[in-house]
Amino acid sequence: MSDDLVTLSVDGVEVSVPKGTLVVDAAKKIGNDIPVFCYHPKLEPVGMCRMCLVEIGLPMRDRATGEPLLNEDGTPQINFGRGLQTGCTVQVSPGMVVRTKTDPVEQARADVIEFLLTSHPLDCPICDKGGECPLQNLTMRHGRGNSRMVFADKLHMEKHVPLGDLIFLDRERCIQCARCVRFQDEVAGDPVIGFHNRGRHLEIATLSEPGFDSYWSGNTTDICPVGALTTADFRFGARPWELTPVATLSPHCPSGSNMTVSTRREAKAGGRSVIKRVMPRQHEAVNEIWISDKDRFVHHFAESADRLTQPLVRKNGKLVAASWTEALDVVAGKLQQAGTAVAGVSGDRLSNEDLFLFQELFRKGLKSNNLDLANGRLAGGDIVAQVGISSGSNLKDLGKGDVVVVVASDLHEEVPVWWLRLKQAAERGAAIVTLNVRGTRLDKYAKHALRYVPGEAVATLRQLVNQSKVETDGQSDDPIAAAAATVGSAGNLVAFYGAEGLTYDETESVAKLLANLLLLKNGDGHAGKKNNGLIPVWPHNNTQGAWDMGIHPSFAPGYKALPEAGLDAHAMYEGAASGTVKALYVLGADPIGDGLMDGRGKLDFLVVQEMFLTATAAAADVVLPAQSWVEREGTFTNAERRVQRYYPAITPVGDSRADWQILAQVGERVGLGKPALAASLVFRDVVKAVKQYKGMDYRSLAKYEKQWPDVGGDDLYYGGNAYENRSGLGQQWVAAAESGKVGMFEVAETAVKSSPGLKLVRTAALYTPGTLISHSAALLGPRMAQPTLSLSTADARKVGVADGNRVEVTANGMTMTATARVGDAPDGVALISGVAYVPGTAVVQIRKLQEEKVA
Amino acid sequence: MAHILLRHRDVENIHQLDVYRQHQGYEALQKVLGMEPAAVTNIVRDSGLRGRGGAGFPTGMKWGFIPKGAGEKYVVINSDESEMGTFKDRELLERNPHQVIEGALIAAYAIGAKQIYNYCRGEFMDAGYAFEQALKDCYANGLLGENILGSGFSCDFSMYFGAGAYICGEETALLNSLMGNLGQPWSKPPFPAVEGLYARPTVVNNTETLANVPPIILNGAEWYKQFGTDRSPGPKIVCLSGHVNKPGNYEIIMGMTYRELIYSEAYGGGISNGKAFKAMLPSGGSGPVVVEDALDAPMTYEGLTPFGSVMGSASVVIMDETVDMVWMAMKCVHFFHHESCGKCTPCREGTYWMEKLLKRIYKGQGTQEDLQTLRSVASNIGGRTLCALGDFAINPVLSTFRHFPQEYEAKIKPAAAVNGQGKKQTAVPVAAD
Amino acid sequence: MFGEIVKGLYTTLKHLFQPPVTVQYPEIKRPVRNRFKGRHELKRYENGLEKCIGCALCAAACPADAIFVEASENSDEKRFSPGERYASTYEINMMRCIFCGYCEDACPTQAIVLEKSYELSFYDRASAIYTKEMLIVDVPVNGRSTPQVVEPGIFNRAIPEMEDPK
Repeated sequence: MSDDLVTLSVDGVEVSVPKGTLVVDAAKKIGNDIPVFCYHPKLEPVGMCRMCLVEIGLPMRDRATGEPLLNEDGTPQINFGRGLQTGCTVQVSPGMVVRTKTDPVEQARADVIEFLLTSHPLDCPICDKGGECPLQNLTMRHGRGNSRMVFADKLHMEKHVPLGDLIFLDRERCIQCARCVRFQDEVAGDPVIGFHNRGRHLEIATLSEPGFDSYWSGNTTDICPVGALTTADFRFGARPWELTPVATLSPHCPSGSNMTVSTRREAKAGGRSVIKRVMPRQHEAVNEIWISDKDRFVHHFAESADRLTQPLVRKNGKLVAASWTEALDVVAGKLQQAGTAVAGVSGDRLSNEDLFLFQELFRKGLKSNNLDLANGRLAGGDIVAQVGISSGSNLKDLGKGDVVVVVASDLHEEVPVWWLRLKQAAERGAAIVTLNVRGTRLDKYAKHALRYVPGEAVATLRQLVNQSKVETDGQSDDPIAAAAATVGSAGNLVAFYGAEGLTYDETESVAKLLANLLLLKNGDGHAGKKNNGLIPVWPHNNTQGAWDMGIHPSFAPGYKALPEAGLDAHAMYEGAASGTVKALYVLGADPIGDGLMDGRGKLDFLVVQEMFLTATAAAADVVLPAQSWVEREGTFTNAERRVQRYYPAITPVGDSRADWQILAQVGERVGLGKPALAASLVFRDVVKAVKQYKGMDYRSLAKYEKQWPDVGGDDLYYGGNAYENRSGLGQQWVAAAESGKVGMFEVAETAVKSSPGLKLVRTAALYTPGTLISHSAALLGPRMAQPTLSLSTADARKVGVADGNRVEVTANGMTMTATARVGDAPDGVALISGVAYVPGTAVVQIRKLQEEKVA
Repeated sequence: MAHILLRHRDVENIHQLDVYRQHQGYEALQKVLGMEPAAVTNIVRDSGLRGRGGAGFPTGMKWGFIPKGAGEKYVVINSDESEMGTFKDRELLERNPHQVIEGALIAAYAIGAKQIYNYCRGEFMDAGYAFEQALKDCYANGLLGENILGSGFSCDFSMYFGAGAYICGEETALLNSLMGNLGQPWSKPPFPAVEGLYARPTVVNNTETLANVPPIILNGAEWYKQFGTDRSPGPKIVCLSGHVNKPGNYEIIMGMTYRELIYSEAYGGGISNGKAFKAMLPSGGSGPVVVEDALDAPMTYEGLTPFGSVMGSASVVIMDETVDMVWMAMKCVHFFHHESCGKCTPCREGTYWMEKLLKRIYKGQGTQEDLQTLRSVASNIGGRTLCALGDFAINPVLSTFRHFPQEYEAKIKPAAAVNGQGKKQTAVPVAAD
Repeated sequence: MFGEIVKGLYTTLKHLFQPPVTVQYPEIKRPVRNRFKGRHELKRYENGLEKCIGCALCAAACPADAIFVEASENSDEKRFSPGERYASTYEINMMRCIFCGYCEDACPTQAIVLEKSYELSFYDRASAIYTKEMLIVDVPVNGRSTPQVVEPGIFNRAIPEMEDPK
């Protein structure tokens, strides 16, 4: 340990840091802020802004003997060289002496500031960065207060240049630090912006079509040390000091990305407090300081004009506004009338508190186990409870010798944060093994990219698992054997699995096989060890929570098996059609809109609790207006089983109520007693019912500690404008394998059904239309995924479709229209994206639509 | 004496392979191929050959920095000759290309490289094409490619034309440009000898440096050391331009004085039009200006040190008494502003600012304050930039300040004309009741 | 005795025959001093464009938190002020205002000025909030009212210079 530490002194203060640390970071650790512009702790140093110039001295040694030279008083002689050196490019070395407060250093800082301000416009009063601008702050701290540059000599350049739909560039303000260019290149792996021209005319230019085509573009505005890059929706929105930051979580992403919404009361919104922007909140184990553009821009749905503002009750065939009391009475009465023919489906973007009370309402209030997720795509919550990634793990710790297996998932489209972190793990030396029906973007960083034909996912994975047991030398021409050798020799093993092209049952087999893989290794498996375990690529932010809360026909909260299983979602939808289910409660989901349910069928009563008048809500008897996640508080459990809190940020819309509140009030009416008065109290009941959550409460979830690197705070110039996490890091619940032995899972051999014909596989796209994102369309509209069918060249020829044709796609009884893309799919597979979820791999019929003739 | 570098001046058509080979061409390579690579480096080191691009770094030492062992290594020839008043490499490439190719091959053998790149200034079309023709001839005659001269040593040679950036003469910017990146230097370390082209060990040598190598190998280090001075041995091509009667490239033996270069009939032949000598840029635009007193200094890497200047690439620009030194400084600064890559702040902003100030002063609109600002801006750039371009850019300004302060003063507006001086203080308004 | 009375009433009697210092407000209004800080006005340039750029520095400087500003973006078809940004909402709560003049000091374009009007009384709290329409001065004789339609490329500086734009 001590061999890896280097001791140096910075302004007379001794500090020991790991070998390879840069001088600026070492100084930062002891609170000595060396100013920087181009340096960022998450990027490679380049030393171009020259702001971090310091005096760096090294102990002198006798050339002949190698002995250190000493002064008369016995202290080592230090050679400071001739000039100043950039603290961001120099690595520490033993005995180094750094001086950061001397006259030459202060002089150099003042000079660099003066140089930067010769071209930087003085439009701070209208700049969106003004008030949280590193250049402003460092000018105040190190600048001279006046410039000798004649104002008329200033170079004027274009302002407000759109780099894309989401990001704007002010060329005058750019100080050419290249943080954005380097971020896109090094961190995001999307080098879609770059420098153009040279010298004072160096400018950021986008190289992609559409402009700045990256899921990460918003992060460049956080790390930009000036107001050169700004987001489209925050332009002139507010001054930063007027904003109130409120901690929140991603409303759609299973990674549980930590975010901060900045709110402000606004006259335009009639005095309501509204969201002005969304920024990342640091959580080094979850999303570090990055969030995807979807996280950043999707929040607009919360303030959509389409939001439901009051309860609706169907009277004379029409949905009309009603009071809460009336609506709740109707709901409670009708549900009780239905007796055992009552059923409930829930979405998986609601909080743990909501889902728990939904479960209480059904199991305790209505004595029914007919409870399921409305659109359960991925199985294995119970398996995750056994062998899920161990608590305390961090994808950032994966590196050389470690292996990550990713099955049937396109992480770049489904959970971009994980994609980013796996890419970085690969760059640190971790081996990535992907298994999919087609190539994904992660393959570029994968050591082994295995393919299977549609329907053979389980068989292929079984082969990989079986071969991983065998000791091999790792040399094999068979790709599966080679991958198995890599997996077999893994130091740490993390397995992700998704549902791309798989049926629900297949995902269960995949989860079990991966669990077995984690349990292998001579009985002393990976499962239960830190940085090892299973991570499901859940479709939504709180699917894990829904499993934990027992939104499942056969599990009570905490994965307690029920003596008698209820109906699953499909049985409920069939029951609704046939009349065996009489009353259906739809909580935050849209089964009709998603094509899972064909109208309300023979239902006597349909109640929908939603934010918008979805297709299902439009068919309902009662619609209960729910609050969006930023209007209330709650907890989400991410796919790594980290329970995290989010907080109320804006004024509730209209007369809407929090989901848990509505459910508690319905519960009261069916005899469950007085409703809980606060989400924290509901969570207390959750903790009592879910043994895995033991020891958690709202206070413990809000605990935080200082993280490295230092972001937020006063020193905006160091880590960018991302918010420091002061609202809680959450708590990860312990998987069974961590505390005890877990047995292997039985996976039944299934015969591979091989039916002839082209197979349809639905692939994910980040901006696929959905209830939330479709109401944020003003900004993300141009980026929304359009229905696209990809075919291989051979298959396209067979079905007579050319690139760009409009086609009608029929599979599983569903019909969709899409635009054809030729060449991006493996033979025998038709990939469809930008459409609602299609499970499994169905045989598909493709019909070319006649082009409309354009005169 | 016969030329060692500009041999085409003695031997007609030496750019043709057969002519070159009739005159000991590729014999040095033949000799080297039978030696230990380390021995080759040792000969070059012993000869005392120093880099001819301007910095004068010992070439043998540079080769010695390349780590031994397997893996890709590269030799890159820096022919991006863009310094004002420099045109020596161009002549070598065009008229005596094989000597450069042979030198590069010897370097490649010495460090174990299998690939040589010549990064040629984009504007050197004729020279570049002539050099490419020489490469083709070499490939056709087994001097490049697989198994050179039957020795088992293989090496490829590619030509690359720059896109017109002065900064790409800086080795790391050159490598960036060669890799297809923006032509910007990187902060050293890593040095190219450790992580250069494609992050592999790379030797970057000037064209003229490599042309020195074949004669050294053929005749030995001792032979080479008889020319020039102890610390600056060997011949050097001097690019003489400006107000002299006979401008052009001259191969001299280092240690000759500048006075001889300018006034001797064998070289410059005196100042043109019978005017008097005023000043000299000994190293193109990037070296500080020197005046009359430096004329007796020897042309060596150290010769001009007492006069605050450097020999650099020996691009001697002579200015007669008619030259306005402020104009000269303005032109030089304009060049550096235009060529600044923009990567680091002091150079990007400072050269822009200096040009603005100099233009104003030159037009007679400058103030005393502008003069002070100019001096201060120049010194604020010095020593603070990522590469040497910033230091180059201030040389013409600071050295003309030193030698010709009166020319600046003469252009300054009289203080009385400056706005805002002696403006009357407005009285505080009194109540109007 | 009488002497004492006269002595005691001396001051009273003296003032009885002097002109009164009080004026009959509101019939008569006293002129205010040049440095008087009265009700705020939002100024315009001579061409009618608003000086205010909606930077909210006045609101930031205000010790009483009396000012509320919301900004929007100008376009050449709908231009309120030179440059990119203007105040779409500008409100001052006159009941909160302490007339310290910090807003005036903070203003980078000298748009807000505390003028001479001091007649600020209200029947209810809501009317104490002065909106932009109430605060902004009339359009100068040669100017046009805002929003103006202007030719592109004239007002492209983010912060206009301190003089009237040409």
